[in-house]
Amino acid sequence: MLPRKARWIAALAVMPLFASVPPPSAWVPARWTWTNPKTLDLLSGTPINCLLLDSYTADFASRAAARGIVTLAVFRPGADPADAARKAVGAGVQGIVLEGDFPTGTAARVRDALADAHAIVIELTSRARMPLGGPDPIVGTYQGVWPGVQVLENGAARAGPSGSLWIDTNTGFIRSVRAWGPAAIWLGYLPPAHSVITGERYLEAIGDAELAGARWIVALDDDFRARLERGDAAALKDWRGMAEVLEFFETHPDWRTLRSYGKLAIVQDPADALLSGGILDMIGARHTPVRAIPGQRLTPESLKGATMAVNLDVEALSADQRQILKDFTRAGGTVLTAPPGWKSLSVPKPDQITLDNAELNRLDDIWRDVQTMIGRKNLGARLFNVSTMLSNVVATEDGQQVVVELVNYSAYPTDDVTVQVLGAFKHASLLTPAGTQKDLPVYATDEGGTGVDLEHVSTCTTVLFRLKE
Amino acid sequence: MTRREWIALVSAAPLLKGAPSSPAAPVAIAKCDSYSEDVTTHLATMFDQLGGLDRIVRGKTVTIKLNMTGSPALRIQGRPPGVTHYVHPKLVGATAHLMGQAGAKRIRFVESAWATSGPLEDYLLDSGWNVRQLLAAAPGVEFENTNALGKGRKYARFKVPGAYMFPAYDLNHAYEDTDVFVSMAKLKNHETCGVTLSLKNCFGMLPASIYGDDAGVDEPNENPTSGRGKTMHDGKRQPSRSSPAELDPSSSREPGYRVPHIVADLVKARPIDLAIIDGIESIAGGEGPWIKGIRPVQPGVLLAGLNPVCTDAVATAVMGYDPRAARGTAPFQTCDNTLLLADRHGIGTTELRRIEVRGTPIEKAIYRYEG
Repeated sequence: MLPRKARWIAALAVMPLFASVPPPSAWVPARWTWTNPKTLDLLSGTPINCLLLDSYTADFASRAAARGIVTLAVFRPGADPADAARKAVGAGVQGIVLEGDFPTGTAARVRDALADAHAIVIELTSRARMPLGGPDPIVGTYQGVWPGVQVLENGAARAGPSGSLWIDTNTGFIRSVRAWGPAAIWLGYLPPAHSVITGERYLEAIGDAELAGARWIVALDDDFRARLERGDAAALKDWRGMAEVLEFFETHPDWRTLRSYGKLAIVQDPADALLSGGILDMIGARHTPVRAIPGQRLTPESLKGATMAVNLDVEALSADQRQILKDFTRAGGTVLTAPPGWKSLSVPKPDQITLDNAELNRLDDIWRDVQTMIGRKNLGARLFNVSTMLSNVVATEDGQQVVVELVNYSAYPTDDVTVQVLGAFKHASLLTPAGTQKDLPVYATDEGGTGVDLEHVSTCTTVLFRLKE
Repeated sequence: MTRREWIALVSAAPLLKGAPSSPAAPVAIAKCDSYSEDVTTHLATMFDQLGGLDRIVRGKTVTIKLNMTGSPALRIQGRPPGVTHYVHPKLVGATAHLMGQAGAKRIRFVESAWATSGPLEDYLLDSGWNVRQLLAAAPGVEFENTNALGKGRKYARFKVPGAYMFPAYDLNHAYEDTDVFVSMAKLKNHETCGVTLSLKNCFGMLPASIYGDDAGVDEPNENPTSGRGKTMHDGKRQPSRSSPAELDPSSSREPGYRVPHIVADLVKARPIDLAIIDGIESIAGGEGPWIKGIRPVQPGVLLAGLNPVCTDAVATAVMGYDPRAARGTAPFQTCDNTLLLADRHGIGTTELRRIEVRGTPIEKAIYRYEG
């Protein structure tokens, strides 16, 4: 039997190539409920090149393939999917998506069943069951929080002068998954039911995934889908806006793979990192660049360039790994270690993707110390007037370029944002999905860094700092 | 307000008597429809109408208490806070520029930044203000967060002659190390005090390190992370013991009683030399985004005066209220009238007929905030 990676390569090699088929890492997925081939016209001018189909026809699959669009049939737990998968591939779809938590071994059985057809099998599991660090070029989950801003007071939604904004996000989770390897990450969560979802909210969902290096599987609510189908002008405008944001990120695939520019590292048990709203998201809300390191993957290399580390995985570390942290402190680094016995109170339930109150209270034990340790230090970047935004700060290996990506989760644009990064950069430029590309005046900051002022941030904006022109 | 209402208002017999000797000083009003107008010119004219800025600031250190209430993260419909509940940075820059031109030696902007003792510059940046532009507006511009000790070595103690609530308050050194003190406020309603103008703005002088909900019991907490609700609004706890305790801990714990009295005390202890009120764009119905029912308004007006009580009295009238209204009457439905309490302290008169208004008359500047 071929190893799984080899199967992927074989599958791609024999895909019907009516048009060029991009590699899986470049697939831009969307859920497609239509089977009318005419609906494929909606994809013209968009980077979407992979459709997840609940139902399919041979004609649709063939027309899509002719446009270079990959089609994947979606199966959910119930009857054994192997036969149905064979039938789907026979009808021309190029792969299978197993969405949900199937009995153990199901994916392997489907792969075996499709071995001759060289079709691709992608698993969209619960977060807890994602095959992290495996050979699959795409890992995914059907779970996710619908991104957005809410006002909190002591953890509860309430308005008051002391209220702070909290952004529901998947970015911390994505960062922890990315730390496991180069696989493309797909988030397959759906728009919330019974809600009015504006075009901006879709842009936020796309941006939230892309910001941390993943892709949201575009999924439209019933109302939007119906309006789009009948050619409603407002729906078409929103659709074009989504395509614009997708295109923005797809034209800069390198941003997904650049290294974190942060000097702060979090060593964390992957099980804890699978829940949204945890320490990675809390640090992200402070706009402190942070790298996630699974305890199992702690190496001297993983700490390179860091000056601070938070060790939340005390008991799971081996003696060698503990030594790595000791060496880190001997070299001048600061390590904040969670108190003895500090561990998850409970195993997350399969349907749980956010922290419960007990877990939030537990986090408070260490969050105060983390805040004190970080203080006002510039650990890579400091951003101002960004309370409705999240950011990602990454750099090229040679340090010649730093990329600051911003996603604004507010329904309103924000004016007068300040970005200050460590390092004396000579040039900076602004890029937006709308096609803006302009140089920004840079100035030196008190900390020896470089600052720029942004007049206006809509949903997505990126600033590139460069040492040379 | 009709002419008949206006005449009735200015000639009404005082409902509550102020101190017989409460001084009166002129107040300047200018119409200014938006921040894109030449705010500097409007302000310069108003300062001239008040007798000129030179005589007030030349060669002196000027401390300007800004109004930046609540977290800068909280916005109203995503708008910059300067067009809703904060003073606008353009007005701040214009003031610095004119004071620099008038020969001020040092212009120090201060505010007790919400729930932090970090640099005020960071707070301004988080509010979307351009700190570098403000620094360039005049020579000697600096900033201080007065929510804790800040750049000082010790707190300055301000005694309150004839105090209502506390015999003295411990404040950041910036309020003492100054020749001129300016209160720059927003023309707003306030949920607890009815209106928040140049007097109420001074409630924000109180450092949360001492008067905050997480203030130290014995000594100040130099890293405060909360507001002053329990200590000052509700009186559920006392300030740090390092500072003078409340005169009568058995007095009313009602915020509508406590806050107006504390504000009047503060202004008695730390006199205001110049009051500037930003009513170009603001909100009505409350002081910040956390108040239900607030709405953005564009009164299109600026006010300035050398006496804060007189200035606030005129500002209250511009908002369509009687500045001498008693508790129970809008806008003081559930609170004592801070202006009258300050008047009773002898700080300034609330009697409109004694206050000379220069520039735009009140009746032409009125913008009703409603009850």
